[in-house]
Parts: sequence; C-alpha cells; structure tokens
Amino acid sequence: MRRVLAVVCLVIVLGSSPRSLLAAQAGEPPSRDVLDSVVELILSGDADLLPVALEKVRGGLKGEDFTRELAEVVLPGLERSQEKAALLAALADRGDKAALPAMIALAKGSADALVRAAAIDGVAALGGSDEVPFLESLLSAEAGTVDAARGALVAIRSDIVSPRLVIALGDKARSGPQRVAIVGILSERRETAALPALVDAAVDADADVRAAAMKALGAMGGPEQIPGMVAGLLAARTDAERSDADRAIVQVCKEHRSKDLAAAALLDRFMAADPAAREVLLPTLARVGGPAVLEIVDGLIASPDAADRKLGLVALARWPDATVKDRLLHLVATASTEEEREMLLGGLIRIAPLPNNSLDPAGKLALVEQTMALCRRDQDRGKLLERASAIRTVETLRYVLPYVDQPALAESACQSIVELAHQRKLRDGNKDEFMVALDKVLATTTNEEIADRAQRYKLGKTWERKKP
Amino acid sequence: MAFDLNTLDGPFAALAGFDWGANADFFKSIDAAVVAAHGDASLRSALEKQFGTLLAGSTSRATKEYVCRKLAMIGTAVSVPALAALLTDADSSHMARFALERIDAPEAAAALRKALGMVEGSLKIGMISSLASRGDLQSVAAISNLLGGDAALAAAAAAALGTLATPEAAAALAAAKPAGDVAAAVIDARLACAEALLAKGDRKSAKAIYSSISTAIGDAPKTHRERAVRVAAKRGLLAAAE
Repeated sequence: MRRVLAVVCLVIVLGSSPRSLLAAQAGEPPSRDVLDSVVELILSGDADLLPVALEKVRGGLKGEDFTRELAEVVLPGLERSQEKAALLAALADRGDKAALPAMIALAKGSADALVRAAAIDGVAALGGSDEVPFLESLLSAEAGTVDAARGALVAIRSDIVSPRLVIALGDKARSGPQRVAIVGILSERRETAALPALVDAAVDADADVRAAAMKALGAMGGPEQIPGMVAGLLAARTDAERSDADRAIVQVCKEHRSKDLAAAALLDRFMAADPAAREVLLPTLARVGGPAVLEIVDGLIASPDAADRKLGLVALARWPDATVKDRLLHLVATASTEEEREMLLGGLIRIAPLPNNSLDPAGKLALVEQTMALCRRDQDRGKLLERASAIRTVETLRYVLPYVDQPALAESACQSIVELAHQRKLRDGNKDEFMVALDKVLATTTNEEIADRAQRYKLGKTWERKKP
Repeated sequence: MAFDLNTLDGPFAALAGFDWGANADFFKSIDAAVVAAHGDASLRSALEKQFGTLLAGSTSRATKEYVCRKLAMIGTAVSVPALAALLTDADSSHMARFALERIDAPEAAAALRKALGMVEGSLKIGMISSLASRGDLQSVAAISNLLGGDAALAAAAAAALGTLATPEAAAALAAAKPAGDVAAAVIDARLACAEALLAKGDRKSAKAIYSSISTAIGDAPKTHRERAVRVAAKRGLLAAAE
C-alpha cells in the first residue's frame, strides 16, 4: 500500500498521470515516458528490473533536467535505502554534476548509513575541490562515515586534497585514528608531495600514526626518504613496530627504481649513527645486503669485542642471498658456542635454496648437502629438507627421497616431495620417478593433507594452496 | 605477373583422384592459384571451370569439399549450377551451402530457395540457415510457412526469421502458435526482430513486439528463462521509448 502511495505521490510531483510502460501519450517527448517508466521500475521493488531502470539512469535520459528530477524528486521519494543507494550509484556513474547538491544534502543529512555512504561516494565521483573541505570534515564522524569519506577522498579528482590533508596530518589536536586515515588516503592517492609530511609522521608521538606513515613510505618512498625512515625505525618502541619499520625500509632499498641509491643512503645513515643506533640498524642493513655492508659486517665479526662480533654474526645470519655461504659455512664450523652455531646454521638453511641467489640449481643442491652435513639436530635437518623443495629439479627429488625412510625426517621429506610434485612440468617430465616417490609418500605419511596432495598429483590433478 | 595455368594440370589431376589420407601437397599450388585469382577475372573463370568439372564428375567427397571451400572464396554465378546440383545430396549438401552462402550472386540465393522446397529434415534446416545467413528477404514467406510444422524445422525457421528481421518476419512470428521449445525459439526470434527494427529506427514496430512479449510474460515470471525474457522486453521498451 505504501509503495502504491509513493508511486502516486511521485507521479503527481512529476506532473503526469500513472501510466503503464506501454501507454505513451501522443505528442509528449519520448524521454518523459522513459522517466516515468524508469521510476515505475525502480519503485516496483523488482530485483530483476531495477538494473534495467538504473542502466537507463546511467546512460539514457539525456540532459540536466532529467538529472535534477531524478536526484531532487525521485531520489527523496524512494522508501528503501537499498534503492536509494542504487540510484545514487547510478547517478554518480551518470557523471552529471547537476545531481551534486542532492547528493551533498544526503551525505550531510541522511540518517541511513547505507544512503549516506552511497551519497558520499557520489560526491567523490561528481565533485571536485569545492567538496574536499566537506569530505575532510567527515573524517571526524562515526566509523561508517569515516570509511566512506576516506574512500571518497582517495577517489575525488582535486589538487587540493594533498595540501589540505598534509596540514590536517600536522594538526596534533586531531585524533590518532583520524591522522592514520589521512596517512592512508595520501598513500592510496600516491601523493608524492606529501612525502615530507609522511617522514615527519614517521616519528610522531602516536605509535599508530608512526606505523601508518612507515607503511606509506615503504610503498611510496625513495632514497630521499631513507634518512627519515631510519629515524622512524629508531623511534619504534616495540619489536612488532620495529619489524614493520624494518620491512618498509627494506622494501624501498629492494624495490624502488633507485634502490641502489636508497641502499647507499641507508648505509650513510648507519655510518653516521651512534653505537646504540647502529645496533638497531645493522639487521635492517644486512637484509638489504651488498658489498659495502658485507665489509662492515666482516669488520664486526673480526672485532675482539664480543658484542660487536655478535652483532656482526646476527647481520650475517640475516643476509638476503647466498653470496655469504662460504663465510657462513666457515663460521658454523668454527662457532664458539652452540647458540652462535644454531643462529648461523639457521642462516645457511634459509639461503641455501633461495630462488634469487647467485647459484645454479646444482650449486644450490650442493650447498644443501653441505649444510645437511653440518646439522646436528633433526629439527634443522627437517627444516632444510623442506626448504630444499625450492630447488625445483629432479635431482632434488632424488636427494630428498631416501630421507622418507628415516622416521624422524620422514614427514619433512614427504612435505618436500609433494611440494616438488606440485610443479606440473617437473612432475610430468619425470613421471616414473615421481610416481614411485608419491607412492612412498602415501605409504609413509600420517599427515592427511600431504596424503591428499600425493594422491591428487598421482592422478594428474592440481591442488589449491590454502590462503594464509 | 599472370598465373601460368599449365602448372596446374598435375595438381588438378591429383585433385580429381584425391581422397582423405592421401598426400595433399598439391593443394598448395591450387591454393596459390585461388589467391592469385582475386583481381584476375580470366584466371578466376578458368579455375571455376576446372572446379565445376570436378563437382560434376564422380570425384570423392573429399575432393568436392575442397572444391566447395575454394568456390566459397572465388565462386561466381557461373559456379552456382554445379553447386546447386549438390544441395539435395546428403553428403555434399552442407559444403555446397557453405559455398553458396558466400557467393555474391542472386543466382546463389535462388538456388538455395529452390532447394528449400526439394529437401526435408536436416537438409531443409540447412537451407533455412543459409538463406538467413545470406539475409535473403525473398525467402521470408517460404520460411514463415514452416513455423507451423515439425518442431526442429519450426525452431530453425523462427531463428531465421529473427535474423532476417523484416516487418513481415516479425508479423509471421507474432502470428505463430508455437509450443514447447519452439515457443522459446519464437520469443528469442521476436526479441531479435525487435532489436533489429529498433536499430533501423522503426521504434513503433519494435515497441509493439516488446510490449506484446512483456504482456504475455506478465509481472510474475515463473522460470529463469521467463525472468530473462521479461528483463529483455522491459529493457527494449525503454530503449524504444527514448
């Protein structure tokens, strides 16, 4: 009944009589009929027909007059929030700014969160610089509106977003969550002009702001931001924050188009740092790697000072590739304590099969064999067997297979074999050997997932890795 | 440079005795001649003559298929009689239509129309399809007469009328009293007609079709198909109204 009343009211407002889709009045411009029909379809509540009507809103009914009628008369007359939100989205896609005042009114005044969010999206789609202050003001609203405003400020086409948000970011009177949202917006907009402000935020008193800024700098920063990011790393208060900051710096030093300059800037900061800061920075520096860093690490390891030596060994164990394999092999063999030995061995186990190291597959496998000979504990041997599957050759399969017969290492060997078998080309190219190996896995493993994978690979099927 | 026809004596002799599985290297020479015949009327004429002889003779089905493929590329009205003679043959009808569909001569359409009255079953469906594919408006009446017959024929006729999409085709479809699968084919064809009429600017006819379908389905569609048809009709109505 309410819907019928709504139709009648709308039709009265639109200045026309109720009509079916078919009964066009003679002499009336066709689009007026179409508008009536569109309104009727929207009001029908029919899920099949709503998209038909909205398609017309998006691309038909040409002209600002129709836009205004849809936005200022039809839209307020709709009862259900889903229909309002759908019409708002269609009006946004229509791209006619004539709908903007109605959208702003709903973004400001609608009590319905769904409608308000759709209106805010619409303001972003149709608006420009004039609407930025309004959208910015919504960042202090309640959570649902903040999310919509955040998305709108990312999407809106305007040159003033960055300068305004940079000022807002520096306003310490704003709450932490607001400033975190601002950092996220600047990052998603890839506003490089905001990089200095992000560097400042990397040492903010608020841990969440610091973390957000470091993350943004990891994605957007370059060599010029490395000193600021180092300050951010040194400002970190917890291991988790330090780890995230470390990751952001390594990201710039490994992935930026000027990554060598970034790595050099990091090294410069390390050299200029005091001993306490060097202790924090060295693991990060080691993860970046490079000959100059290796020289520093070698110097520390050779130092008579026990603390310096330990720092050097930690750095070497974190090295990103196999260029330090000979050093590690030597140091494992000559380690003075079991703790030192385990740490260095962990580094060897990690780098031996790395896909980006300088060794060819045979060299990697040889390093795995050398490392295996140094392992004293089954947990290290098992870890190494599992890591070996990164060397995707049939020789690795031949190396790993005998370990299935050793009860303490059987599951690790089985895991490694199914990982190798996951590589279809490798499996199909060495089918006979893989069939034998997978049969052995099936006869040995007690792990249901490994057994399932082995069975699937035997039948030539794929297996989908669970997402973490 | 003119193509030397004498070089084709051997390949054409081989083609006359060809069958599936035999060495087909000689195809290359004939293929090259067919390519060269574009823009060379005398070569085209000479090739058509050779091809016509092969079609009329007691050559294998493999030979006839190869010849039909070539005539689809270079055939003219001259080749129509030889191809038309194959239309009633169950083995060769399909490939003869393949050529006739593509030969840009009214004689080709006339041959297909004539064959429509001479064949039955799947061969007849083939003729309907080829005439629609050629956009042969002269066949609308003959195809319309098939809407009331055998279900497979009626469905093929409906689809063809949807492709031809003249007001006469639309009228024949509207007057049809189909059932079952044919009803679905007729509705699809009517929607195709309406869309084509709308594209040509005939909003009134298109609107009449869309509204007739919309009314027939009503506001409470029972099946997924009915829902889809209803959406298509409403969408068409809006397009026709604007």
